Amino acid sequence: MLDILIGILHLVVFPGGVFALGLGLFLKGLDRRVEARLQRRIGPPLIQPVLDIAKLCTKEVIIPSSAMRTLFLAAPVIALGGIGVCAALLPVPGVTDGLPRIGDMLVIFYLFPLPAMAVMLAGSSSGSVYGGIGFSREMVLMLAYEVPLLVIILTVAMKVGAATGGGAEFSLTQIMAYQQEHGSFGFSLTMLPALVAWLMFLPATMGVPPFDQPEAETEILEGPLLEYSGVLLALFNLASAVKLVVVLGLGVVLFFPGTLMDGGTALGMAVNLVWFVVKCVVFMVLTLSLVKSATGRFRIEQALSFFLKYPTGLALLSLALVWIGC
Amino acid sequence: MELLHRLSTRSPWLFRINAGSCNGCDVELATTACISRYDVERLGCKYCGSPRHADIVLITGSLTTRVKDKVLRVWNEIPNPKVTVAVGICPITGGVFREGYSIEGPLDRYLPIDVNVPGCPPRPQSIMEGVLEAVAIWRERMEG
Repeated sequence: MLDILIGILHLVVFPGGVFALGLGLFLKGLDRRVEARLQRRIGPPLIQPVLDIAKLCTKEVIIPSSAMRTLFLAAPVIALGGIGVCAALLPVPGVTDGLPRIGDMLVIFYLFPLPAMAVMLAGSSSGSVYGGIGFSREMVLMLAYEVPLLVIILTVAMKVGAATGGGAEFSLTQIMAYQQEHGSFGFSLTMLPALVAWLMFLPATMGVPPFDQPEAETEILEGPLLEYSGVLLALFNLASAVKLVVVLGLGVVLFFPGTLMDGGTALGMAVNLVWFVVKCVVFMVLTLSLVKSATGRFRIEQALSFFLKYPTGLALLSLALVWIGC
Repeated sequence: MELLHRLSTRSPWLFRINAGSCNGCDVELATTACISRYDVERLGCKYCGSPRHADIVLITGSLTTRVKDKVLRVWNEIPNPKVTVAVGICPITGGVFREGYSIEGPLDRYLPIDVNVPGCPPRPQSIMEGVLEAVAIWRERMEG
């Protein structure tokens, strides 16, 4: 019974639900602001994503007559639902250990592509040609970035597993605890290639330049999201905000789960939470905002070959180093 | 409800329709967005790629015969409430092309235009003023 209550708490309040939505929207606003400052503009206010959501709720919802109605309506719900559950499983270093019984990297690995899948569903059910093109591009990009993601996850699991008694350790709680005791993987030479691969994976999974081919608005008019309006589009935006928290948070847990204070007291928890947010912001500015404002867009086949060469290669290098016991 | 309306007018998404423009006004629209001095994003504006996401439509060009039906179709795809802004002298009177054989304009024969921003091309400042005026109209329309 208590387990279920704790699970619901994780899903609705922290770290999923309210917290993930709030942090995600804040990060999105910060991202737009940083990008504007880099171009020497003033940029929108920090709460702009919230205003956008409020605006979308007042707009008319149009369902195109050529769309497959059920799928078209279900896709945004699947996106937000899938990534919302994923956020609930996320541990926050020094604040919560996540849900140790199900909070497993493999579960996250399976839930994590749901927003991308939902975008694919959206594109294919919207009955628009651009949606179809976006669908195929999203699929290619997903195939490209899931490979390094899997290898990175395996590398971390092997590293922890080798130290704690053989096999691979997929529990996020264990991975976090191990690093807090033995030093973060982000500072270890063996894991450095995997970290770099992870940094390359971030822009692709968030769909920002140079890997925004599925939603390229100048070529295919936002692709799969082309036909969405009003509340349905707002749901997709919320899903994207939560996804931002999940990828950044997962990066923090996998590579930098250090804490500033002991998580036993309320003050310690508050400090650790702020530290977690700071790490998320640094991750985001380095891998999304800076990269976004400095690059154009790859062609889709260039993105595919890039991901199968460099991030996969780096992640495999790390895996090999862990394998031989460095 | 009123709060929601007040919040939502701080997020006007712009959509550009080129109805046979010479591209002069389109360049000015891009300037309005991209040059740090005029930055429309600080008003919450964003140029969006899809008509379904738009709140304020900026139409440039003198509405030529070939694009007339397409412009009307795209305009109809924009969800309500929406505000239409005619940018440049061409959609307002036809401009230097007004007596051309292929000109169907002026635009307000076919669409309800809310704001006119004359000029050939209009200055970024006046485009921004037009956007602000459109936001005021949008708010009235939501409350009314």
